Amino acid sequence: MPADTLAPTKPSWADEVEEEEDAFQTQVYTDENGLKVIVEYRDNDDGKKVKVTRKIKTKLVTEYVNKAVAERKKWAKFGEEKGNKPGPDLSTTTIGENIPLKLSSSYGKTPTAEQQTDEQETKMRQALKSKNIMCRICKGEHFTSKCPYKDTLQPLDEIAASLEGVKNEGSSRPESPEPSGGSGMGPNKYIAPHLRKGATAVGESPREKRDDSATLRVTNLSEDVTENDIYELFRRFGQISRVYLARDRETGVCKGFAFVSFGMKEEAERAQQAVNGLGYDSLILRVEFARSS
Amino acid sequence: MRPILLQGHTRSLTQIKYNREGDLLFSVSKDKIVNVWYSHNGERLGSYSGHQGAVWTVDVNSTSTMAITGSADNTAMLWNVQTGKCLKTWEFKTAVKRVEFNEDDDMALCVTEERMGYPGTVTVISINPDLEAAQSDEPVATIVNDGGPKAVVAGWTYLNKFIICGHVDGSITQWDWKANEKLNTIKPHSESLTDIQFSTDRSYFITSSKDKSAKIFDTITLDELKKYETDTPLNSASITPKFQEFVIVGGGQDAMNVTTTSARAGKFECRFWHKILEEECGRVRGHFGPINTIAVHPDGKGFSSGGEDGYVRVHTFDSDYFKFKSDH
Repeated sequence: MPADTLAPTKPSWADEVEEEEDAFQTQVYTDENGLKVIVEYRDNDDGKKVKVTRKIKTKLVTEYVNKAVAERKKWAKFGEEKGNKPGPDLSTTTIGENIPLKLSSSYGKTPTAEQQTDEQETKMRQALKSKNIMCRICKGEHFTSKCPYKDTLQPLDEIAASLEGVKNEGSSRPESPEPSGGSGMGPNKYIAPHLRKGATAVGESPREKRDDSATLRVTNLSEDVTENDIYELFRRFGQISRVYLARDRETGVCKGFAFVSFGMKEEAERAQQAVNGLGYDSLILRVEFARSS
Repeated sequence: MRPILLQGHTRSLTQIKYNREGDLLFSVSKDKIVNVWYSHNGERLGSYSGHQGAVWTVDVNSTSTMAITGSADNTAMLWNVQTGKCLKTWEFKTAVKRVEFNEDDDMALCVTEERMGYPGTVTVISINPDLEAAQSDEPVATIVNDGGPKAVVAGWTYLNKFIICGHVDGSITQWDWKANEKLNTIKPHSESLTDIQFSTDRSYFITSSKDKSAKIFDTITLDELKKYETDTPLNSASITPKFQEFVIVGGGQDAMNVTTTSARAGKFECRFWHKILEEECGRVRGHFGPINTIAVHPDGKGFSSGGEDGYVRVHTFDSDYFKFKSDH
């Protein structure tokens, strides 16, 4: 009976398990540097036990505010915000882009870039005053590209040519040059202003073009996701300047993708690597850099 | 500077105002809503609903217990700041364009519009600072600028001594409101005034005008002390109380002309002018419509602007701002 002989030296299997559990229990203590240490044991994906040691440094920051101000911070929300939890709501409060305030006592005295271009323009105009300029469209005294009728009329010569073509109809296809911007359908076809040849970008957005280099596109989101969820998910990677969640226009539920803009590209890269492939709400997220359209 | 954008309004802002400590920011707009925000993080504390028309103006008393608003629905309303409850509604004959508490919080002035045969007035109403008490209906005084141009803005001088009115023709008048007597009239601007804001001690004030200039005057003598000439009609001007001797002015072309020009030409920037040297020191862009109202945080560490675009932008100055020294 070997088991019997071994019994005094080796504790029973039940004790062994108990002891093991004790050894793997989470320990929390404060070390000599005043850091709070949490030691945890957990099973990793391969079924092995791993020891996780976390050291937490707590720093008490005391901020002195007016008594009345401190009192007001505790006020309950009311009106349209009634019942909402404390903290800024992303639907009303967002952080804008970084805007520099460069202070100098000679501001406005040194011409800015726009003023310089304006000056150049006036100079050019003065230089051109003496020269003979004729517009191909209306025969006015300006460049063809600056003609007020350039979007509505075609050059006079071309009209003449196309008229000629109509006269010769039946004998052969007119060899007249195509009207500017025309797609080969004759002069009467409507062409949208922005598609016309020589048309500059009209209706440019009044906002500055957004810098999309630090913007991530998050896809495969579940329907229940809200802006705040996205914000919570990405907040730890850095300053988020914008969260856009695509929602269905009628039902208001998430359409499955969102855009997250960070302040810096490095933050966005870190977030992309960390969150891409992450399981979220039983779906696997896909995160990639947004391609600017 | 990363501004906080507040999107609590669907129409253009008409006035924003900090309370005395600067922790709360009140905003009113043409969409009938009055909002109050925590200025440090942009969190909305609440909204005050009750007005039936565009809200033109707001003010809060020095203890931040009561706020008063004036609206195009011909009323001024008194609110409990903490709960959002309306404490009192005063009915006027015409729209209320400007309200302001006096320094003792026991009176408020209301500037009413000249409309429908009624003359424009500056009405002084008495306020009981007790939140539970009933408020009186009877005005304490009513100033009518007989035959003269209507008042658009007004404010109290220190110790509630006089009332200063800014008029639609660019003139400024000083009133002994108790005796209902006009003491002084000057005409420093050629077009309508748009804003009047006082220094912390109320010994001088700044006016902004559609004639593209802002000016500082002494409250008692009405002497013109400083002048800031810009290239765009101004809608608001504010004085920084600490750290830097600046005034912040803002404006832009009229809303009706906005679509005819690009954003660059619109000049929708807050401009920083040196208060003493009268020279421009910097600009802060961001709005894509004219700036309607500017308020500086009472501790001088930030400012906010409200625009025709419906946004309030809350700025906190960078450390550079505090280090800035003029070359002169």
